[in-house]
Amino acid sequence: MPELRGTVGGPVVTEWFGTQDLYKLDVYKQKGGYAALRKAMVDMKPVDITNEVKTSGLRGRGGAGFATGTKWGFINRDMPGPKYVVVNADESEPGTSKDRYIIENSPHMVLEGIMIAAYAVGANQAWVYIRGEYDEPYRMLTEAIAEARAAGYLGPKPMGIDFPLDIRLYRGHGAYICGEETALLESLEGKRAQPRSRPPFPAVKGAWGRPTLLNNVETLATVPWIVNHGGSEYAKRGTEKSPGTRLMSVSGNVKKPGVYEVELGQTFRHVIMELGGGPPDGRNVKVFWPGGSSAPVLPESMLDTHTDMEALAAARSMGGSGGVIVMDDSHCIIRAAHRLLKFYAHESCGKCTPCRVGGDWAVRTYERILANEGSQVELDILQRVSDALQNGRCLCGLGDSAGWVIDSTIRHFRSEYEDHALRHECNVGAVTALA
Amino acid sequence: MTIDGQSVTVPPGTLIVEAAKNVGVEIPVFCYHHKLDPVGACRLCLVDIAPGPPRPQTACTTPVAPNMVIKTQSAMAVQARAEILEFELVNHPLDCPVCDKGGECPLQDFTFRHGYPTSRIDGPRLHFKKPIPLSANIALDRERCVLCYRCTRYYDEIAWEQELTTGQRGVQSFITSQFDQPLTSIFSGNIIDLCPVGALTSRVWRFESRPWDMTQTGSVCSKCAVGCSVTLWQRRGQLVRVTSRENDDIDEGWICDRGRFDYTDVNDPKRLRVPVVKGAGSTWNTAIDALAAGIKGKGPKLGISLPQDLTNEEAFLFRRLLDGPLKGAKVKMHGRTALPEPDPNQLLIKEIDDARVIVVVASDTEKDVPVVNLRIKKAVSKRGAQLIVVHPDGVDLDRNPHTVHVRNAAGSAAAEVEKLASHELLKSPGGPVAILFGDGHGSEDAADLAAACAELASKVGGKVMPLYRATNERGALDAGVAGWDKLDGVQALLSWGPPPTAGIPSSVKFLATWDHLQRPDHSRAAVVLPATTFAEQQGSYTNLEGRVQFLRPPIPVAEPLKESWEVLTELAVALGLELGYTGIFAVQRDAAQTLPGLADLAEPPSPTPVPTPVLIGPAHP
Ligand SMILES: Cc1cc2nc3c(=O)[nH]c(=O)nc-3n(C[C@H](O)[C@H](O)[C@H](O)COP(=O)(O)O)c2cc1C
Ligand code: SF4
Ligand code: SF4
Ligand code: FES
Repeated sequence: MPELRGTVGGPVVTEWFGTQDLYKLDVYKQKGGYAALRKAMVDMKPVDITNEVKTSGLRGRGGAGFATGTKWGFINRDMPGPKYVVVNADESEPGTSKDRYIIENSPHMVLEGIMIAAYAVGANQAWVYIRGEYDEPYRMLTEAIAEARAAGYLGPKPMGIDFPLDIRLYRGHGAYICGEETALLESLEGKRAQPRSRPPFPAVKGAWGRPTLLNNVETLATVPWIVNHGGSEYAKRGTEKSPGTRLMSVSGNVKKPGVYEVELGQTFRHVIMELGGGPPDGRNVKVFWPGGSSAPVLPESMLDTHTDMEALAAARSMGGSGGVIVMDDSHCIIRAAHRLLKFYAHESCGKCTPCRVGGDWAVRTYERILANEGSQVELDILQRVSDALQNGRCLCGLGDSAGWVIDSTIRHFRSEYEDHALRHECNVGAVTALA
Repeated sequence: MTIDGQSVTVPPGTLIVEAAKNVGVEIPVFCYHHKLDPVGACRLCLVDIAPGPPRPQTACTTPVAPNMVIKTQSAMAVQARAEILEFELVNHPLDCPVCDKGGECPLQDFTFRHGYPTSRIDGPRLHFKKPIPLSANIALDRERCVLCYRCTRYYDEIAWEQELTTGQRGVQSFITSQFDQPLTSIFSGNIIDLCPVGALTSRVWRFESRPWDMTQTGSVCSKCAVGCSVTLWQRRGQLVRVTSRENDDIDEGWICDRGRFDYTDVNDPKRLRVPVVKGAGSTWNTAIDALAAGIKGKGPKLGISLPQDLTNEEAFLFRRLLDGPLKGAKVKMHGRTALPEPDPNQLLIKEIDDARVIVVVASDTEKDVPVVNLRIKKAVSKRGAQLIVVHPDGVDLDRNPHTVHVRNAAGSAAAEVEKLASHELLKSPGGPVAILFGDGHGSEDAADLAAACAELASKVGGKVMPLYRATNERGALDAGVAGWDKLDGVQALLSWGPPPTAGIPSSVKFLATWDHLQRPDHSRAAVVLPATTFAEQQGSYTNLEGRVQFLRPPIPVAEPLKESWEVLTELAVALGLELGYTGIFAVQRDAAQTLPGLADLAEPPSPTPVPTPVLIGPAHP
């Protein structure tokens, strides 16, 4: 078990949150905002910035957890022609609301992170692809950008350095797949949001065929702190392989749902029972999704699993988007899986065969089981569809996620599946009919 | 690297699917097509690659690497492909017995060879309204579609059209024309050949016959000067289908809709088959004598209208008549441009691929030389060539936002071409320049323009290609019969093929026609000779780049129809000229010796053999 170094304490991303009017430029500056940008552009070389991020060990907070510094290093800063930074603010993973929380509290911190990243990789233009439904965050970012322009942080010579910078917002069109990085780029280019086959990766051929750095909001919002305090300071938090903190959106059957900054390596018991206040009185946790709906479920017995990525991988799940969804024992796992599958089938972009057909086939199979028409045949179909969705069968991660829902719920709740499919009974009691 | 234990050596960058073909290993594909950019959408081509992650990867998007070990038959790969095929069938209507694709359908064949032998699919299937007409020529069956996106990608990448797209998403996705409007592109039919299932079918051929009930013959298209390779499909003496036949020197597997759908006249029940003299059926002898009597010794008072698809052999025989008994006759060839004879070192179609800058003058290539237009598009969008167009009006190539369009006043193209030598793009083009020019359909002085283009080519390092339009304009030029005369005032007219575009001159007193259809303009003809079509006739065409290609007739010439060489030889005798040919080979040998431009007729190559299906044994999991 990796040792939790959580002795340093103190929040990183949310350090200044709660300050009155932090969203305003002058308040943000008073707290120390844009010092990191000044330091990065005036005192550091671009490669030093990237190295500092590498030292911090920061890993992407969008879902895949890829090492951020390494990703920045993939962009060839000296290549002539335009390069872009694209920020993933599409946040449509069920149970995830941390990017919105960050933007609404401190839009300038996001902008500052974007500017530092753009300077580090040599991009003069950044786009924030923001979820279409996010009206308030959109408005706040729009105002923050206007303030940053007026103050000269965005414009021809930010910090007096000859490196023009611009950030624009692009509102998404309301499909979950738009959060997948290459589908996002297609959508940004004005096309149907369908993932591209990789390689080439966005760092080589991204938006409009140009080298593009694509990061999540939280990932970039962490960067100013790292530049201010140094990568090694950040790396003192969390575990060795998953350093730092992350924002966890705790939702579902808990008394205190909300977004909490958690040092990686804490247990889910801490996150759910203490921070989230545990399930309603008289109920027990039945199952939880540790990293958004796309992460394989873990049962109550695994509440002591640690939040770092390695511990989660060992538990056959993942940190994903940091959305912790808790379901108590009044709910039926088959109905939950069916509902999620409906989501994935509905959101499948339809480009690749397994996800397009498999998701829908699984939904129909669940419906037969829930209508008490199930048998061993249905269980076999579910297992095989689930296998055929995972492990490189699909073009993007959406298909895998659909497969994991089936696979992990069967793995941990096989007897409930058998009750439903073979004996046509639901032993959870609370629920009888199909929603 | 090795594939299933066989070692393969291929150039770097080769995709695994292509490498596998070299050793006869079948990797099934739906979305992959060798002329389209890979997308990795259908996931059927999954194989096992070492070194690599322990999961199957798509062979259509992965380039080979040294010492790669690829297994198509590992348990993991076999199962992965079988599962994709099963998915494809979950909602498939299985109406194979009435599907035009049945018998030549990759979905059937791949399922047979790579699928699960038993079915687990018992639920209800999703349905779509079907079939949907995409245009007068193409029907779409959305239930059969496997969403490989070949059709939409072709429209996008190759044809540069925006008419075809995908609606909805997920399992509800369907192919649709933009705003449900009929397709209008003249390149639409290629999607039928591309579609790996029976989702896109020809409405001209729909429900005509099963694929195995036809014979196929590799021939050449007769509709324009490009000369695309085609396959002609015959059933019970009828031409029932025309499809593309890949020839990378010319067409790369594309044909235009004229070539594909414009063939039903061959089967017209009202086809002329018997000679007619003064309104009554007659023998060939009587008709030819009547014709000879009407045109003999008329000199310039005789007009002759030639069809655009006159073969080289016909042109040669006709030249002999023009040199002899018909000396002085006025000749007008259908579709003939005003372009002069070509430069012997002219640009070849395939050389357009390597051009860094392409200059197109006085031609809307989409209409004039359709498949050359696709080649230009490929050079631009896949190989980064720059494009300059000189034309008074908007043209199809303007679809590329980077096209530099010089809008000249009609008639001043030559002057504009002279100015181009100092154009930014041509100062240092960085490679060969391709200059293609038409005659502006009569608006430009073709000789001046040809000279200006040749001059530009020598200045900037390029070659020129005159864009002839009539199918065998080049061959007719070589034979010296590509007339451009006005027919006004002639007293006798032989209208060979369709009537002259300007109509039959009112001065004509004796009209004879030689055609395969009865046309209203020909109603007052004194002599009517029935003609063969490209589907029956032997002979050859010279395409616009000078390549001689042979027609291979799928349908025999049935009595009383006669081959054209025979008719012309008999006409010559009736006019007092003994030619003495006993067969088409003799005509070809003689033509080859007499006319340098037709030297290639000396040795017609053997016909392309009919492809034998490659069946690779079942690989059920
Ligand atoms: C179906 C799907 C949906 C995704 N949605 C989001 C999203 O809403 N927000 C996000 O930041 N990343 C999302 N991702 C992950 C992105 O593809 C990408 O990995 C991430 O934005 C990269 O940023 P990071 O390196 O900073 O984590 C999604 C991935 C998949 C497969
Ligand atoms: S996995 Fe699903 S969402 Fe992703 S590309 Fe395939 S069909 Fe589209
Ligand atoms: S219609 Fe045919 S070519 Fe087009 S996507 Fe469907 S299966 Fe592919
Ligand atoms: S052929 Fe490779 S994914 Fe379709």
